[in-house]
Amino acid sequence: MDLRLAIFKPMLKIAMERTGHGAALGFQLTKVGRGEVEMTFPYKEEVIGNPVTGVVHGGVIVSLLDTCCGSAAITTLTSAAVTPTMDLRLDYMHPAEPHKPIYVAAKVYRNTSNVMFCRGSAWQDDPENPIAHCVATFMKVETPSISLTNIIRRRFNRLIKGDKAFEQEANK
Amino acid sequence: MSDALKILQEGLVKARTESSPQQILDLIPYSSFIGAEAKIEGTEVLYWLDRRPSNIGNPSLPAIHGGVIGGFLELSAAIEILYTLDVNEVPKVVDFSLDYLRPGRFKTIYANCIVLRQGRKLVNVSVTAWQDSSDTPIATARCHFLIT
Repeated sequence: MDLRLAIFKPMLKIAMERTGHGAALGFQLTKVGRGEVEMTFPYKEEVIGNPVTGVVHGGVIVSLLDTCCGSAAITTLTSAAVTPTMDLRLDYMHPAEPHKPIYVAAKVYRNTSNVMFCRGSAWQDDPENPIAHCVATFMKVETPSISLTNIIRRRFNRLIKGDKAFEQEANK
Repeated sequence: MSDALKILQEGLVKARTESSPQQILDLIPYSSFIGAEAKIEGTEVLYWLDRRPSNIGNPSLPAIHGGVIGGFLELSAAIEILYTLDVNEVPKVVDFSLDYLRPGRFKTIYANCIVLRQGRKLVNVSVTAWQDSSDTPIATARCHFLIT
C-alpha cells in the first residue's frame, strides 16, 4: 500500500467534502487512487436548474467534474504545488434524471512536467451511458505559498483581522 | 401544460415586459444556491456573483471554486437566451467549454454574454467573466444550447 496516499486520502477527503463549495454541494469522495478519483453526489432540490422537470443544473455537473478531475490531478503530485485548471470541456449526452444520485469518475491519462491531462465522466445508472463527459487540463505550479507555515500564518491572520484579512488577500 | 411550465412561461413574459432578468434567475433554484444576480446595464445584461463562503474552492488561498465559475457562466448563458430570445422553455445545454485565465479571487465576479449565432435548433453563446475590470477577464466560456 502506498503510505503517502494513505495519509493523503483523508486529507483530500476533508479538503474537498468539508470546505466551501464542496460542503455546500454535499458530495462524497468514494475512491482515491493515484491519478484516479471517484465521487457520488446525492440529488438535492436546491440545485435544480429546470423548474419544470426538476433536473439538476449543468453547473452542478461542471462543479462535480472539475472537483473530481482536480482531485485526480492533485493525487499525482510529488512536491508542493498547486494545480490550477487551464480549461475544461464538457459534453452533455443526456439530461440527468431527478431524484437519483450522480456518480462521477476522473482519471489523469497523461502527466507531463508542466501539464496534466484529465478525463472524467458522470453517470447515473450505467457508466457506459454517461450523462456527461469531460476533458480538463491542469497546470503544475510549484509554490511555497501552500507550505504548512504559510497556511498557519494566514489562518492566524484571518483569526485576528476577520473579514479584513480576506479583503487584503483578495486584493493582493 | 404542466403547472411548473405555466409558472415558468408567465415568469418569462413578466420578466421581459418589466425588463428584469433577475426575475428569470429567481425561477431557477440553482441561481440562489450560488447567489447569482442580474440587471440591465445599458443595452446589455450584466450578471454578477457576490462572494460567499459556500462558493470557495481553495480555502487556503482563498479562491472561488472553478466549478462555481463554470456553473455561473453556464447559468448566465441560459438566462441570456431566455431573456433576449423568443424561447419559452429552459434551453438544453449540449456542450460547454471553459478557459480559466486568472484565479477567481474571493470577491464579486461579473459576466456578460454574447449570442453569437441563433439557429432554429441551436444557439451559440460566448460568456466572459471578470473581477477588477473587463479588460482582465478571469474566464471565458462558449456553449451550445438546444432550443425548442
